[in-house]
Amino acid sequence: MRRDFTLFAIVWALVTAASLAVAYFIIREISFPTVGAEEAHVIDDAFMALTYMASPVFGVVIAALVVAVLRHRSSGPADGDGARILGTGSVPVVWFGLSSLLCAIVIVYPGLTGLWELRNHDEPDLRIVATAQMWSWTIEYPDSNVKVFGAQELVLPKDETIQFDVVSLDILHSFWVPAFRQKIDALPGQTRKVYITPTEVGDRDSDVAYRLQCAELCGVGHAIMAMPVRVVEKAEFESWLKEQQSVAEAK
Amino acid sequence: MATATPAAASQAAHAHEPHDEVKKVRMNRLGLWLFFFSDALVFALLFSARFYMNGTEVDPHISQVLGLGITSVLLLSSYTAYRGETAIHHGNIAHGRLMLLLTILLGIAFFAGVVVEWSIAEFTISEGYGTSFFSMTGMHAGHVASGVILLWIAWRKAGKGYYDGGGLKAYGVSGVVMYWHFVDVVWVFFYPALYLLK
Amino acid sequence: MTRVVRAPIFVGLVLAIVGFFFGVAFLGALRTLRGQTFWEIEAGMSVGYVFALVGWVAGVGGWQHWGREWFGLEAKPYTLTGWKRYFGFSPDHKVIGVQYSVTFVVIFLLSGLTAMLIRLELMRDGEQFFTADQYNAAMSFHGITMTAVAVAILLGGFGNYFVPIMIGARDMAFPRLNALSYWFVPPVAVLLIIAVLMGGWDSGWTAYPPLSVVNKHGQVLFNLAVITFGLVSILGGINFLVTIIYERAPGMTWSRLPIFVWGAFAASLISFFFTQALAAGLLMVLLDRIADTSFFRSSEGGSALLYEHVFWFYSHPAVYVMVLPGFGVALEVLSHLSRKPLFAYRWVAGAMIGIVLLSGVVWAHHLFTSGMAPYLHAPFLVLTELISIPTGLIFLGAIGTIWAGKLWLRTPMLFALAFVFNFLMGGVTGIYLADVPTDLHLQDTYFVVAHFHYTIVGGEIFALFAGIYYWFPKITGRMYNETLGKLHFWIMFIGFQLTFIPMFRVGIQGMNRRIADYPAEYSDYNTIISLAAFLLGASFLFFVWNMATAWFKGRVAEANPWRATTLEWQVSSPPPEHNFDEIPVITDTPYGYGGGPAHHRPFAGGAALATEER
Ligand code: HEA
Ligand code: HEA
Ligand code: CUA
Ligand SMILES: [Cu+2]
Repeated sequence: MRRDFTLFAIVWALVTAASLAVAYFIIREISFPTVGAEEAHVIDDAFMALTYMASPVFGVVIAALVVAVLRHRSSGPADGDGARILGTGSVPVVWFGLSSLLCAIVIVYPGLTGLWELRNHDEPDLRIVATAQMWSWTIEYPDSNVKVFGAQELVLPKDETIQFDVVSLDILHSFWVPAFRQKIDALPGQTRKVYITPTEVGDRDSDVAYRLQCAELCGVGHAIMAMPVRVVEKAEFESWLKEQQSVAEAK
Repeated sequence: MATATPAAASQAAHAHEPHDEVKKVRMNRLGLWLFFFSDALVFALLFSARFYMNGTEVDPHISQVLGLGITSVLLLSSYTAYRGETAIHHGNIAHGRLMLLLTILLGIAFFAGVVVEWSIAEFTISEGYGTSFFSMTGMHAGHVASGVILLWIAWRKAGKGYYDGGGLKAYGVSGVVMYWHFVDVVWVFFYPALYLLK
Repeated sequence: MTRVVRAPIFVGLVLAIVGFFFGVAFLGALRTLRGQTFWEIEAGMSVGYVFALVGWVAGVGGWQHWGREWFGLEAKPYTLTGWKRYFGFSPDHKVIGVQYSVTFVVIFLLSGLTAMLIRLELMRDGEQFFTADQYNAAMSFHGITMTAVAVAILLGGFGNYFVPIMIGARDMAFPRLNALSYWFVPPVAVLLIIAVLMGGWDSGWTAYPPLSVVNKHGQVLFNLAVITFGLVSILGGINFLVTIIYERAPGMTWSRLPIFVWGAFAASLISFFFTQALAAGLLMVLLDRIADTSFFRSSEGGSALLYEHVFWFYSHPAVYVMVLPGFGVALEVLSHLSRKPLFAYRWVAGAMIGIVLLSGVVWAHHLFTSGMAPYLHAPFLVLTELISIPTGLIFLGAIGTIWAGKLWLRTPMLFALAFVFNFLMGGVTGIYLADVPTDLHLQDTYFVVAHFHYTIVGGEIFALFAGIYYWFPKITGRMYNETLGKLHFWIMFIGFQLTFIPMFRVGIQGMNRRIADYPAEYSDYNTIISLAAFLLGASFLFFVWNMATAWFKGRVAEANPWRATTLEWQVSSPPPEHNFDEIPVITDTPYGYGGGPAHHRPFAGGAALATEER
């Protein structure tokens, strides 16, 4: 029995340490797509927090499995029964208490806190209407009445809070730029808003995370219902807008 | 379904069923109630969908007279059904059959009323309110129709002497009447939701 | 010749066809009266199907053995014997159990092969051999058939076969209803396959409108099939509840129920109460298609969100219908093969009921990105994560049971242990999805795909195989081949991890699900995934081979090869038709290990409770 517990402790420590290491060096360092927006930090931090908290839980279960398998194999019923441990004592109570506590923590942080952070974003500097239809996006800059279509690019200014009004003309689609993390469905006839503040310049050619990808099954064209995204410095954005306006007038 | 088939056949048919009659009736009753709960959910969802889609709006063209009429018909039928059940349970088959027959006729009357309503409706099924109205009344009328058929079966078996002596043997009737009450109660919710709001 | 003509399935087919044309004619008549065309494909198929279904179940025996009574005629006795019983209307819960198991294992393999094709297509970016449309059809078919398997195989198969024996009953509460529900299943499979042959449907297994209102005709068959399937699980659920409440042998108190029975009970509570929601949702879609209602037409106040709420109101609880019996099987195996009493029995049973209660109030965690009212986010986040507490207690039961046990590492035990690990992965990743901020990114990515394959495949399906190997000797009277079994396990386990762990990463990286083609950046990982998936698939060849050979040529198994203490092992293998010579009287819990031989026989009476009259 005592040897069991020591082995348990060792394996638990090892597994927990290992999974913390994996979390820190592999997940945190190389697994996330480019962090292209303020809100993306909130989401990645939440992800890491959950992973750190999950590690010891993993440790417990796996350690128990390892101990049982390594130290308590048998060749069948012939060599008798295991100890008659019914678990009517305090162990379940403790377990129940601890997992409830852990659960409560997980709910508050990163759950509710993260939600709160995402909710109170600063006032939008720019409004953009993203209209979905089978199977392409139409982007409109109402304040400077510029429209760009599926084949072109979604160009955004860096460090400005943008309000996207997402809506659909036919069926369900979903607005999602992996670099910005957040996702919102495009409902037919009902506008939904999502607020994003790009913080990194970047474009589709150099980074797959910079694409506006439809993320709600919408039939044959679903896979290809994507639009390149380009985040540029504010000045460059302004000149791009001018350019587009003149193009529009030319027509 | 209690049966009075000759020993041999019923032996074979029931080789796998509990033998204790009282217990069997209890189990049937529980099974039936569970079915009601699960069936009620469909109605409940259509009911909530109605408010989700068109709030409390009611189409002014709907015939209040007809609505009130069929509603009272259905309520009355629940009473006759009840009388029929008790009569048969006390072994008074003849009176019980009469009451069941009345219930069937009232049920048919209700159904006819719904058909008329559908044909004179001045709104289409494609409008918000029409969607709720036709789907809810349709789903309910379907249950009424099946109820009528079940009542007819019970009425017929009663005629063939299956329920003679009443009591446990007459469980079949209670089951059917139970179902009838259930369908009735559903309408008690649907009627105000479809007619009486503003 | 007459033998063929009398064969139940043949009669059923004939009546089904007759019924179909009757239905079509009936509808056609009504339509012509209202001045419409006689034939309209979607309405025609729907109405025709309803009548065909009635004809089918009546033909396979529903009329002969049941319906006749309603009309004051004698029910015909059951004449089929031997293997023929499995192809007819049989009230014997053991026959029905085998019917379910075999049917769904075949569907599982079929749908698994579809998954192999999916992986073949996803091996590299660009289109390999599927067009985007064919891919959607394959993906949707895989999704819905596997969901059906997952919902029905443990309850329908093991549940029917073992719940009555485990509680000391001669049969289910409503044997004929039981037979009836099974015979609803073949039409479901047939419809789905016809749908694929008609070009399939492209709305996945979730069938979200408006897409599912405007897409191909296959969608109608999908809706009809799934509604029918819903009927199966409702009737099944009711049957189990009544059986477990009323048919327990004397002395079989609630605290002496084997844990698998608790699992079946909890799952049945869910399937009888929630399944109607699925039917209602799909009915609305159907009406929008064939009756031109506007449940989902925004101009008329309809909304896709209505469907999403209704659909998930069932489909989330459904995931526990899948996994609760899985818990039961795994815990049974863990206890009996480590020869220790189930740890914290009452807590575990209570946790199962707790899961049932919570399961009904968390559905909107599938809608965090759907554009539903934002004030719903926080409450559903909280409620969803609460589920990890009761589920955690199941894990406590598992690890407490094997702690200081005598683990007999036979194939079923290996699967049961793997279940614990896999489900931990699946469950914990569920927390990431329940957490709104992370879900905003992860929703509809391969992270979700990985999550639910860990919970369903890694959880339930591993438990399923634990059960198959554990109960194989009881059901067939023969022993499977241990070496092949272990081979199957190890290849499946390794293949499984290699397939689904990388999916978490591509998901985080930004690869969304339900796509035939993806940006080239994701190619390398998908190649690894596909290769691993083929390994995973190959493992089932050992399984099929093992079963096929053992069933006919395997070593004859004794009544109780595992020396287990639950009732099903106290009767001969396979159990006699009446299960018990006389109903046993229960005197102790089913987990008497470590209490000396006295506790190994938790029932009054002699050596074996029943033996096959050979
Ligand atoms: C058997 C099937 C099954 C099971 C058991 C679960 C279990 C859980 N699932 Fe999963 N889920 C699916 C099948 C399943 N799921 C499917 C099929 C989908 C996709 C549907 C589709 O879109 O196609 C899905 C999708 C899905 C989503 C939506 C994702 C999205 O599309 O955005 C979410 C979000 O909350 C979720 C959450 C959970 C949670 C919290 C659990 C919990 O029950 C898990 C609880 C278990 C644990 C937490 C581990 C053990 C606990 C401990 C060791 C105690 C200590 C731990 C803590 C206190 C945290 N699941
Ligand atoms: C029980 C549930 C279950 C099971 C067991 C599986 C099993 C598998 N699933 Fe599936 N899957 C789902 C439920 C399930 N899945 C669901 C619900 C979806 C969502 C659909 C949607 O989005 O709508 C999905 C979606 C899904 C996707 C995402 C598709 C997409 O989003 O585009 C992928 C991709 O890799 C996948 C892969 C696999 C693989 C590799 C297996 C492997 O485990 C399969 C193992 C292989 C076999 C079982 C075949 C072995 C058989 C043979 C080798 C032949 C045997 C011999 C004879 C037949 C005689 N599944
Ligand atoms: Cu648009 Cu998917
Ligand atoms: Cu869920």
